[in-house]
Amino acid sequence: MLSLKIDDLAVSFPGLSAPVLVLDGLEIAAGSRVALTGGSGSGKSTLINIIAGLERVQAGRVVWGEENIADLPEGRRDRWRAANIGLVMQEFHLFPGLSALDNILLPARLSRAANADLMKRAESLFATVGLKRPGQHVETMSRGEMQRVAIARALLRSPGVIIADEPTASLDLESGEAVGDLLLSVAASTGSTLIVASHDQHLIGRLDRRLTLSGGRIVADTERKEIAA
Amino acid sequence: MIGFILADLRRLWLGGIVVVLLVALATALGVAVTLQERSLRLGSARAADKFDLVIGAAGSETQLILSSIFLQAAPLPLVDGAVLTKLAADPRVAWAAPVGFGDSFAGYPIVGTTMSLVSNTTSGFAEGRMFALEGEAILGAAVDLSLGAEIKPMHGTAETGGHTHTEIAYKVVGKLQPTGTPWDRAILVPIQAVWHVHGLGHDHGHDEGHEDGHAGAHDEEHHHGDGHDHAHEGEEHHEDGDTHAEGEADHAEAAIQLVVSQRQKHALALGPATSAHVESDHQGGIDADAPIVETFGEGTPGLPAILVKPKTIADAYRLRQEYRTGNTLGVFPGEVLTGLYATLGDAKMVLSAVAAGSQGLVAAALVLVTVIHVGQRRRQIGALRAFGAPRGSVFAIVWLELFLLVVLGVGIGFLVGLGAAHIGAQLFTAKSGVILPVGFTREDLRLALFLLGFAAVLSAIPALLAYRQSPAAALRA
Repeated sequence: MLSLKIDDLAVSFPGLSAPVLVLDGLEIAAGSRVALTGGSGSGKSTLINIIAGLERVQAGRVVWGEENIADLPEGRRDRWRAANIGLVMQEFHLFPGLSALDNILLPARLSRAANADLMKRAESLFATVGLKRPGQHVETMSRGEMQRVAIARALLRSPGVIIADEPTASLDLESGEAVGDLLLSVAASTGSTLIVASHDQHLIGRLDRRLTLSGGRIVADTERKEIAA
Repeated sequence: MIGFILADLRRLWLGGIVVVLLVALATALGVAVTLQERSLRLGSARAADKFDLVIGAAGSETQLILSSIFLQAAPLPLVDGAVLTKLAADPRVAWAAPVGFGDSFAGYPIVGTTMSLVSNTTSGFAEGRMFALEGEAILGAAVDLSLGAEIKPMHGTAETGGHTHTEIAYKVVGKLQPTGTPWDRAILVPIQAVWHVHGLGHDHGHDEGHEDGHAGAHDEEHHHGDGHDHAHEGEEHHEDGDTHAEGEADHAEAAIQLVVSQRQKHALALGPATSAHVESDHQGGIDADAPIVETFGEGTPGLPAILVKPKTIADAYRLRQEYRTGNTLGVFPGEVLTGLYATLGDAKMVLSAVAAGSQGLVAAALVLVTVIHVGQRRRQIGALRAFGAPRGSVFAIVWLELFLLVVLGVGIGFLVGLGAAHIGAQLFTAKSGVILPVGFTREDLRLALFLLGFAAVLSAIPALLAYRQSPAAALRA
């Protein structure tokens, strides 16, 4: 439910002469569903890191809703991310030794944000993503199930934005499809802004807008109607 | 957070156990050294507590204390019996008691002494009563014999090739309560019995005066000995090179020369005693039914040591000064022990340095292991941050995880060290009778706090590394 506005963004890494990402201006409307595509080295991961607040913004403005996260120091950026961004990654980054439910609740607990409501929400999310045994340890789950747990974790604090980085890349076709369905349906039901970086053409095709990056710049910005047309 | 740490430790249980063991062993080493040294110091000081002043013949102070207080078998030069007579009459002395060593039974030293020493240095009888006759013995608390047992003294000890006085047997009539000193392992008999076994001072305590085979100062007065048996025995003792060796030769000659006069004196001395007693003396060396006489007259035989209880501290210093001249040596056991502790302290310092070195090595190894471990977990830590865990939580997780392991290790180390010190103390007590009080003091609390503080700082190193990681960089790794 947050809109994104990026101005004059430039990201460069020490040792590299050319910036890895340059965006003069980018706007993503609240509640829209956007695909990010591009080969490796296109700046796609960097853009994900910047908009998720994982990377410090060196130059430019990155404004989510009213908040320019470029201005936030690291600690506040962490807090902002925890409250506003639901992150789903290619590697699920679940923590072995903990049950599925505990994994869903872990970030909230570490932020001391867990309360009775969140616990209840975790249980209902567990059902929403189509899982049955909350006490099951994650290391005994299939990869498809693990990604479902990861999605439930991302949704726990009702984030305004869901950012998924290659959510289906490490899954088989069937599980990938199910995970794609799930992402679209939860984003639709909460009205969250959904940004998905992916190579999965099937998944990309189901999103409203497609941004193609190459060499650190956006080289194509197409709406689905245009794609369909 | 605790749940996450526990889940993590469950997953890494093997490494965790190794870390705990390393810390525990390094801690235990240091703790055991400290506890053992302290208990040795306290235990020996307590053993010497009851003995204010020890007077012996000029010689080694340390040996005098080791022999008289720790009952360590060793030949001691003998002090003139007249010294005891003089001390007993001294108004500054509460009591003075002779101690005579040299015999043993079943590995327990037999100590000849007086009723006044027994009643003044022990807390009473666990069973039975004080010896009242020459042929009676009482047991220290740690002697594994029962009332009524017969004790045939062996001259010297079995290991040093001693012979048994087969003709003599003491009857056990009492068992003392524990004192926590080497005297718990001793069999106490009347000093006059020890003299008589070795053919000395047979005219116990009578003013008519009797010879002293050991001192050699009363040669003219020799009217001692109880016949050929003892003359013979005297020679054997000489060959054995035992504690009495110095005086034995004298005694042997004296005994032969003075048999007749001794017989007369003896009969006189015993007074109402029957002639049967006299007979048994001639055969066995002691008169088992003779009453104990504890007034030490002129003819008191030479003694390895005299334990003295002065009336006041000032008296103690004056007496020590007086008896530090010429042929006698007066020492405060505490003072001699202090000298020994200085040596012990040096040894402890070396051991402590070794222990500290091993602790340092373990600490360095832990830092290495955890820094590598944090490096391997970069992605996990990055993910925690990415999903919204605050940096403080990440720091706390890494810090707590290592700190918990070290605390556990230190705790186990203290227990293991305590256990090791207890086992060491028990072995020592079994051997020497000295009870070593093993226990923690405030000093150990300081050590524990220091170790924990050190662990807290140590654990902060990997935690800080984790804290400083940028989540994006960590996830890229």
